[in-house]
Amino acid sequence: MGADWLQSVSNWLDFAAGRMPEVWFRTGQHLVLTGVSTGLAIAIGLPLGILASTRPWLRATVLAAIGVLQTIPSLAMLAILLALVGKIGAVPAIIALTIYALLPIVRNTVTGIEGVPHEVVEAARGIGMTRRQQLRMVQLPLAMPVMIAGIRTAAVVGVGIATLSAFIGAGGLGQFINRGLALSNMQLILLGAIPAALLAVLVDGVIAATAWGMEPIRQHEKGGLKAKLKPVALAMPLLLVTLGVYAAFENRSTAANHSGKTIRIGSKNFTEQLILGELMAQMIEAHTELAVDRRFNLGGTMICHEALAAGEIDLYAEYTGTGLVTVLKRPVESDADRVFNMVRAEYKKKFNLEWLEPFGFNNTYALTVRKSDACDRGWQTISDLAKSADRLRAGFTAEFSERADGYPGLRKAYGFSFAAVHDLEPSLMYQAVAKGEVDVICAFTTDGRIAAYDLQPLADNRRFFPPYFAAGVMRSDFLQDHLEVRDVLARLSGVLDDKTMQRLNFEMDEKGRHLKDVIRDFLQEQGLLNKQF
Amino acid sequence: MDCTMIVLDDVSKSFDGGQSYAVRELSLDVKDGETLVLLGSSGCGKTTTLKMINRLIEPTSGTIHVDGRDITKQDPVVLRRSVGYVFQGIGLFPHYRVIQNVEIVPKLAGWPASNRRRRAREVLELVGLPPDEFSGRFPDELSGGQQQRIGVARALAANPKYLLMDEPFGALDAITRDSLQQELKSLSKRLGKTIVFVTHDIFEALTLADRIAVLHEGRLQQVDTPQRVLTEPTTPFVRELFEKPARQLATFQGAD
Repeated sequence: MGADWLQSVSNWLDFAAGRMPEVWFRTGQHLVLTGVSTGLAIAIGLPLGILASTRPWLRATVLAAIGVLQTIPSLAMLAILLALVGKIGAVPAIIALTIYALLPIVRNTVTGIEGVPHEVVEAARGIGMTRRQQLRMVQLPLAMPVMIAGIRTAAVVGVGIATLSAFIGAGGLGQFINRGLALSNMQLILLGAIPAALLAVLVDGVIAATAWGMEPIRQHEKGGLKAKLKPVALAMPLLLVTLGVYAAFENRSTAANHSGKTIRIGSKNFTEQLILGELMAQMIEAHTELAVDRRFNLGGTMICHEALAAGEIDLYAEYTGTGLVTVLKRPVESDADRVFNMVRAEYKKKFNLEWLEPFGFNNTYALTVRKSDACDRGWQTISDLAKSADRLRAGFTAEFSERADGYPGLRKAYGFSFAAVHDLEPSLMYQAVAKGEVDVICAFTTDGRIAAYDLQPLADNRRFFPPYFAAGVMRSDFLQDHLEVRDVLARLSGVLDDKTMQRLNFEMDEKGRHLKDVIRDFLQEQGLLNKQF
Repeated sequence: MDCTMIVLDDVSKSFDGGQSYAVRELSLDVKDGETLVLLGSSGCGKTTTLKMINRLIEPTSGTIHVDGRDITKQDPVVLRRSVGYVFQGIGLFPHYRVIQNVEIVPKLAGWPASNRRRRAREVLELVGLPPDEFSGRFPDELSGGQQQRIGVARALAANPKYLLMDEPFGALDAITRDSLQQELKSLSKRLGKTIVFVTHDIFEALTLADRIAVLHEGRLQQVDTPQRVLTEPTTPFVRELFEKPARQLATFQGAD
């Protein structure tokens, strides 16, 4: 046991060592995101807290408003901000992080000011200080330790929340965590999580040191070691931010040097999307003059769509059913050709976006159970399952639980409900059903884990699930300038059927291979990297 | 020269819109250079009276004149800077060093830095704390008695004509309190300050006062010299109040 444990640590260290430059760069980004947002939250939060402490009605209003902002789930916050500012990347991420950092800062400012002993404030007033002087000379300095404690909380929590920035293309250590979650790759997850945890400890220590450095030097400490160390402690946050900026922007210059045109390709945050993104990227790199900027792992359909519509990315892979129901808000439709023609026409008209030729596979939902259960109970279709549904526990993705073409529609079409429905993260969902923690999941038909975990998809005998054929969606203006992209990507259609996608998904999810290697090997084996058409 | 420096005329204060009064129809003169002690048990209105003199509390009715001027016509901030105040509890600023605490009022009044530094050292000397030793300390590095000396020094720093003192020695042990009382007495005569001193301690009142004003339930009972309140009480309350100390004093002198 002990040796196994040591072996996995040593494996991970090798893995991490090979990615040190990226870890360094992502840590820098992470620090800059946290630093800038905490700085902004201080600039907004301190005056707001001071103002709120002077007027009781304002205090209640401000704290309630910030409390409400705090409860907005992070992905929802990112989606709202994307719609508001029309950008992906650092800007919406920093706005979101700033909003989350406000509460501890404002609350501690108010608490700190209110906590100054009454007799000290009365003395300040009694010797003839104006309101402003009382605040500046007495209340604020005495509230400082509590205010700094608030900033400290905000910054440490900020380091944790900043991992979400990756969902909106702002990078940071969350990039590793997202990629790791999408690929069920623990080594990758740890590559983000361990530096993030260390960074939180470091940030906490640095702010504590700063607070200590701000304390005045006592008579008996004069000339001692403490007195000499205090100015150093004060300079620490500056040092940390400088370090972060350096790490984050050190290799920016080389990236910006690329002279030719660039295509920005996005993807959602699950394995198949990463595969499709990388497939398109490598085909374009091999056969066109364009450079590819990979903006993968964006947090879901709406963030990808908004980013494309806003011109923040040029291309990503979407599914016809998702385009119809989630983006266009149309009713569910089961005829594949009709769906494709509808989304193609509507996207062009509403968003000036172009659907390219579908790749060929249909990644629709399938209610999926353990193969052993299916055999024992004779389940083959969803109708078979419906008879015992009231005793079964389901684990669905949050998206499936909500979508009209997901659980709500399914219930109507088949007329049943499960005893319990748990919202699960996609990669956890498969483990949950395999371990018997739930009985039914909403698998994707192309998912490699269906075979890997010995699961059985059930037939959709009432043809409820709409078609989900994948195709590239592209900005029309970009397409007009680069028609070669369409031709290059057209070579992928017909190559990717359900089985092939299952295999590629399996290579990533279960074998934990590198995305770039899997795709390069696949394209080579298909002869798609050869120059001649 | 009979100069009346602080005049309270028919002053009342209610904190609950007139249902009850903390101070009721109080008229009182404080003369130039005298130490007037407001004496009474807790809740009698003595601290409220003191706070009304520098407008920490505004009277409900009646007028107060300081130096012949109605204080409601003055900027309260300017008024407070011209009247030294020593607070119950101590009210020193814990984040300021001793010297900063002492020079704060001159600083607020805009004195140049070198003047106020010199003045602060002077008053520290005056209250018996050598500036070289104490200037750089923080209040929590001082004993209770030393802190209270700083409180007095702070009140004296801008050289005000008036000192308002709210039970300044209440929290000190008997020996420290006694020595501070003696020092204050000689200091006030030497500097010629006009002092309004609040206490509930009868012996402290007898020690310090030129005149004692006895308050009970917001009403003034008697204003007179210590000798006369002892020997010629005008109300039953005053007689009762001084009966026991007078008897103790007599026994003590008899036994001597």
